[in-house]
Amino acid sequence: MTTKDRSFSRGSRKTYNLVEIVKSPTTMKDRGPENTIFAFPIVAILELALALGSTLFLILFSLLKDAPLEELANPLITTDPAKAPWYFMGLQEMLEHMHPTLAGIILPGVAVAFLISIPFIDYSKENAGVWFSTAYGKKIVGWTALYTVISMTGFVLLDNAFPPRELLRDVLPNLITQSVIPGSVMTFLVVLPVLVLMRTKKEKPTAREVMLVLFTVLFFTGVVLTLTGFLFRGPGFELYLPWAMPNGYNPLDGL
Amino acid sequence: MKNLLANLWEKIVTSRPWKATFRYGLPNNPLDRSLIMTESLFFHLHPVKVNKKSIKPLYSMGLGIITTVMFIILSITGIFLMFYYVPSTELAYFDIVKLQTKVPFGQLLRNMHRWGAHAMVLTAILHMVRVFYTGAYKPPREINWIIGVFLLLATFIGSFTGYLLPWDQLAFWAITVGTSVATYEPLMGKTIQKILLGGPEVGQASLTRFYGLHVMVVPAVLFILIAFHLWRVRKDGGLAANEIPDEMEAENDN
Repeated sequence: MTTKDRSFSRGSRKTYNLVEIVKSPTTMKDRGPENTIFAFPIVAILELALALGSTLFLILFSLLKDAPLEELANPLITTDPAKAPWYFMGLQEMLEHMHPTLAGIILPGVAVAFLISIPFIDYSKENAGVWFSTAYGKKIVGWTALYTVISMTGFVLLDNAFPPRELLRDVLPNLITQSVIPGSVMTFLVVLPVLVLMRTKKEKPTAREVMLVLFTVLFFTGVVLTLTGFLFRGPGFELYLPWAMPNGYNPLDGL
Repeated sequence: MKNLLANLWEKIVTSRPWKATFRYGLPNNPLDRSLIMTESLFFHLHPVKVNKKSIKPLYSMGLGIITTVMFIILSITGIFLMFYYVPSTELAYFDIVKLQTKVPFGQLLRNMHRWGAHAMVLTAILHMVRVFYTGAYKPPREINWIIGVFLLLATFIGSFTGYLLPWDQLAFWAITVGTSVATYEPLMGKTIQKILLGGPEVGQASLTRFYGLHVMVVPAVLFILIAFHLWRVRKDGGLAANEIPDEMEAENDN
């Protein structure tokens, strides 16, 4: 449809007009077209408030808490544990559970490729600008988030207790224990909620609904793995409770 | 008294220097409220009119703006930090110690840069999550979503390259662990790591490279991408909450 068509409805056979007298400059009194208002000054005020508020918050926080500075770098003394910055702790945590090429290269690559392809898989314009699109979408996100937190925590704990790479070391080749098994488990955990969505919904789920499931799985997997690596990994990169770390190690010191 | 002030105000806003600087009158009427958006450098990023829904605090939570504000704070505090810092394995650590103990407000300056950087990474992630859940990547905003993904990656790189600069144990081992991930790429891994570090392990060459990337390359890339990102927001019709169902289109579809 061209823009020209959009301006007037075509083929209208309307031959009359309804007219009413309104006591104001325009019939859109106190209301712009499509419920709009002038951006000035409200947007300027909001932006200024956000800028000042976040700056003030940052200054106050900086007055209360000092940035960490440990001893001079020494290549001969390894810190225990040696951790990457917090936003890479999800990656470092994955390295504990599978072959490094899978954890460090393939899965992050798949995640970025997925993010980039989202708007080309779900290209319907419907419900843009609405949180979770629909009430059903909200339900999908809630259940998927709960499922991901439980299943990924379970995966970390189970894999930590019974690591197939160690238990099956002499039975199966490394390729299977380090890549095929954890890769299949991950794929299964990601695909399962999509299958559940297809079974529970009567009609075919929309692209948006599938994206809601997959993005929620990705995001909450990232949250679980990052928190596990950042808060729950102590000396020897073993799992501990954050408040019960041995050797006086405090994970928050490494921010 | 009130009259005097009003007269003075009137004189100022109608004076030649004022009119030469601001090409619009006092924005208290629809015409000047439109002109301020089209004529001023800062406000031209904004549309003249916005949908009431798009300025509700719980819609966007202001995460994109906070991320941009953090970038500005990091640029300013970063320039001040450059005045006191030499990227040498011999000097870097002691420059930081000196900054914290001898320079007035030095500790505060470093704290703001450190916490601001963490805040920027966090708000950039949350901003992406917000954009996804509100479906704001849908057409015509696909390209801006992709620019956003690259902005997030550039933010990671900016934070990561800065992590090495204090040259303490935390920095050294975090970068050693972080860059070792590159070696797991089977074909080019070792080469990529060598290019990043300027050698087989973290040393002076790595510090020089990370410093150059951190103070020059990454900020420049971020600046250009942010400018492009904001321009696209404007061109794609503002926040997605401004989208209104096209009645004519709906009529035609039926």
